[in-house]
Amino acid sequence: MKLVDNFYAYLWPGVTMAEMQRYGNNCNSYVVAQALPENKHVLVDPGMVVNEARQDCLDRLISEMGKDGLKIEDVGLILNTHAHPDHYGASEAIRKMSGAQVAIAKGDDDFLKLARGEMAQVLKQMGFEMPEIHPDFYLTEGELRLSQDLVARIMLTPGHSQGHISIYWPDAKVFMGGDLIFYGSTGRVDIPGGSAQSLKESIERVAELDIEYLLTGHQYGSPGIIQGKEEIQKNFEAIRRYIFPYL
Amino acid sequence: MSSENERIKSALEIALEKAQKLGALSEEERRRLRDEELVAVGEALAKRYLNGLPLRDIEVELGRRREEDRQTISRNLLSRLVDRIDMEHIAGAERILAAVQHLSGDSGVVQSMRDLLQGYESAMEKAWRENRSVLEAARRNELELKGISGSAVDPAIETSPEWLQIRQRLDSHYQERLEEIKRKCKNA
Repeated sequence: MKLVDNFYAYLWPGVTMAEMQRYGNNCNSYVVAQALPENKHVLVDPGMVVNEARQDCLDRLISEMGKDGLKIEDVGLILNTHAHPDHYGASEAIRKMSGAQVAIAKGDDDFLKLARGEMAQVLKQMGFEMPEIHPDFYLTEGELRLSQDLVARIMLTPGHSQGHISIYWPDAKVFMGGDLIFYGSTGRVDIPGGSAQSLKESIERVAELDIEYLLTGHQYGSPGIIQGKEEIQKNFEAIRRYIFPYL
Repeated sequence: MSSENERIKSALEIALEKAQKLGALSEEERRRLRDEELVAVGEALAKRYLNGLPLRDIEVELGRRREEDRQTISRNLLSRLVDRIDMEHIAGAERILAAVQHLSGDSGVVQSMRDLLQGYESAMEKAWRENRSVLEAARRNELELKGISGSAVDPAIETSPEWLQIRQRLDSHYQERLEEIKRKCKNA
């Protein structure tokens, strides 16, 4: 669905318990349409191909994008906020369909190596397999310049993972936070590379930004998009008051 | 089952009868089976060592065996450990080399392997230093042509075809020499 300007949101069902049970886990994906030459799109956090509930997540994304007149073949760049498979899993599959460049948070490269090395066996026993990803470039703190004079600020926001990044589009006041912050809660910090202290610091840093649309990584029982500066600030305040003490 | 003599035989009795008909194992067959067992012991010890079992515990395990069995097991253990030395995992190689030296008693060949692995590491680092900025500039240029640039962009040159080619050349050169030394070590 269209959000604002050329920003589109594709939210994975999960507001109600029934939805979460039926659809399983996957992340919300976001598209910045026609951000690149030849009107190619930027896709943030593509999600998985198929999830643990055997939902065809990628097919659903393609279908939803299609409803907005956006084709997966026209994706020119995939940005991944962090190296958890429910966010980056479909990157290579989409690259095959579109020839897109793939990027991932630099600081999560170590996590990827660990997950494919020592942890691979343990993860397999838990039913996880880390999908392949071959990034063309990494994302670090700084400016990401796209054609059409579109500039995003890549912010290093560790906490949920060591190298987790968030993407702030200052002109549109859109913030894509991955698994940093949700409506009324935050990303978990108990996965290897997570840190409660880092998460809190990252959230405080982000709270200073001028944001009108806060786009989250999951709906986990609540809406995936928080709209309006006041609502967003209330959310930050609620998290400080009710979540920070338990992190 | 009309008479008392015709009773139901147990599965064990039937199995033993069948086994008796097969006849006893020949000396060669017995030796072969024994060797297979000892190979498996050697493999298992190698796995345990690689998972952290101290070398002195390996010695204790070997000490429990008869002399002739100990030699077969040691040979297999050595062979398995030598097989695990590779250029992808140089960091873990030193531990394996320590065990190889202990088992083979040949410090010369172990030092050759050590020197080769260190040589490979240095050559790789040198190649990286010499080529990095050129490869990075090329990748940045490619990305810019696709409309992607900025200080947040850190090109992943270790996956670029040019770097993989350089790496492949170094790999084959050193791999050949490593295999030669490994063969020497196993045959010592």
